[in-house]
Amino acid sequence: MLGVGPMSVNCVDAAIELSNKNNCPLVFIPSRRQIDSEEFGKGYVNKWNTAEFAEYVRERDTNGNVVLARDHGGPWQSELERKNRLSLEKAMESAKRSFKEDIDCGFQLLHIDPSIDILRTPSPDEILARIYDLYEYCWSYAQSVGRKIWFEVGTEEQSGRTSTEDRLTYDLDKITEFCSVSEIPIPKFVVVQTGTRVAERRNVGSFDTPLRVAGEIPAVIQVPRMVELCKRYGIYLKEHNTDYLSDEALSWHPRLGIHAANVAPEFGVVESQALVDILESHDLHAVSNDILQIAYTSKKWQKWMLPGGTTSPRERAIIGMHYIFSDREFIDVKNEARRILCKKGIDLDQHLKDSVKAAILRYMVLFRLVDKQ
Amino acid sequence: MKRVATVILNRNLPGPTNELYEQLMINEGSITDIYVLEAGSRIDNISKYCTWHASDPDSMQNGLRYCRGTNYALFSLFHEKRWEQYDAFFILTNDTVISRKRIIRPMLAVLDEHPKVGILSPCSKRWGEKELLKEIKTRYFWFINNNALLFRREFLESIMQVNNPDFLSFIFDGSNFRGYLADVELISKAYANDWAAAITSHVFAEENESYLLEQADLIETEPYKEHMRLYIEEGKKWIHQKYGFNSHWSMIEYAKSFYDAFFRLHPELGDYMT
Repeated sequence: MLGVGPMSVNCVDAAIELSNKNNCPLVFIPSRRQIDSEEFGKGYVNKWNTAEFAEYVRERDTNGNVVLARDHGGPWQSELERKNRLSLEKAMESAKRSFKEDIDCGFQLLHIDPSIDILRTPSPDEILARIYDLYEYCWSYAQSVGRKIWFEVGTEEQSGRTSTEDRLTYDLDKITEFCSVSEIPIPKFVVVQTGTRVAERRNVGSFDTPLRVAGEIPAVIQVPRMVELCKRYGIYLKEHNTDYLSDEALSWHPRLGIHAANVAPEFGVVESQALVDILESHDLHAVSNDILQIAYTSKKWQKWMLPGGTTSPRERAIIGMHYIFSDREFIDVKNEARRILCKKGIDLDQHLKDSVKAAILRYMVLFRLVDKQ
Repeated sequence: MKRVATVILNRNLPGPTNELYEQLMINEGSITDIYVLEAGSRIDNISKYCTWHASDPDSMQNGLRYCRGTNYALFSLFHEKRWEQYDAFFILTNDTVISRKRIIRPMLAVLDEHPKVGILSPCSKRWGEKELLKEIKTRYFWFINNNALLFRREFLESIMQVNNPDFLSFIFDGSNFRGYLADVELISKAYANDWAAAITSHVFAEENESYLLEQADLIETEPYKEHMRLYIEEGKKWIHQKYGFNSHWSMIEYAKSFYDAFFRLHPELGDYMT
């Protein structure tokens, strides 16, 4: 199963069109920063709130193949909750309201991730207690409104380090025990670190390198072990940070038993690169420079930089550009570009959508969700 | 009689080789004979403990690397009729850094304790596998890097080429010069012949890459990055030609299938499964 980060309107359209054309299931995996309810200030993707996003997808998903999933739902996963420095109690209440909105809007898969705590570092048992609380709340609410939902758990993100079996076993033992006692279905997916990590425009984890990474269990040992572990619990393995893996690495995912994988920033970066390329190939250098300047100044690229990296300002701008697709200043410059290109017979958004489509299709083909096209 | 033959593979680094030889001789000389293979070293860069000097033009130009070096040394012992006097052979490169006084004795004890183990590697502090070797300090793996391996003679006898053997074919497939995935092939052969390959955290050994990174010119090998590129490229070509495999994952799956079959046959060893 492919989880697609809804990085932009073009990205959402591209994924839905691919799903419709190939009659193939796809999952949208918005984080709370990308799309959230009105109360939390919506998200940076098209300034959609949860309901608007869900409605947009439902109207276009003609075959009913698109699953809406919440990625990393939980306390302090919203910018607003962090900015307002909510207490744990308030942040948990806030997270529940966000989940409630998800369920109301027809989200079917909820990733419960209470691993963020802005006040202190919680113990593994404290994180588990927060999972139980949110899990039970979401299940009870979904039952009360007649919604069918699945859960995803997993508390690691972007560490790129291989999960320790002891910790994962402990968490899964406890969660399955909680589910059994509470008579709630066990999670459908567990996030397992297989050795993937995204930095700049690369996957820098151990999965895609045949060389040893210091301190890491080689992926050739780690992945089969984790797959076995998930099998023991009857839970599907979900990989995060799958972006930028090579064709070879991706083509092995189904054979290795990696059941689902999330890809997000790559699609935003593909669209940004396509935008800059088409502007420059039509001598619209001033417009391109404006766009790059706005993106660079936003500093949204910062979180993706490797320490001591020598990435150029241009690359940095492209890496962080998708975060500002919906900012007024960016929209104005893009509209200008759209008008100029239109006169030359080019539909800018169609071109951008096609670029993202090609990127998504690579994953769909290599995961054997669709035939090679 | 000494139970182990230790072979140090050297190329143009007599200083570290002499140090390693002396460290092993002082601490473990009572249980091991030590041999030094000069893998195409220049005549002025030969260790004072040199046993064999591979000085054919190809070795002088390119060295032997781990696989051909292992073949050369073990075949020499076999040819010189010194083979049968040993229970095991410990092959290490000149840049191996041993963190404890003794490495061979504890490894031999592990080999004695695990009669099905044919290949044994010390763990490295830089390997993630050390996390898997805490309570149970020795486990069986389907993938092990090859910078310091202890081979059981009986295992080697089950796989060695005795018809027209040479340093290209005796144990490892030396046609894979730099040896990427040749270790996985050897591990596959072990499990296919009812032997296991293990890593133990009773002892640790490190590959001191600084010799490759900083002294590349001295070793007369390509700079490190170029070496790694060639290492992977040649290994991939080799698995394609030999097995029709197009990915290192295929080779790993191949080894893993024999590994799984081994444990189906030996459920009593399940505690050592990774």
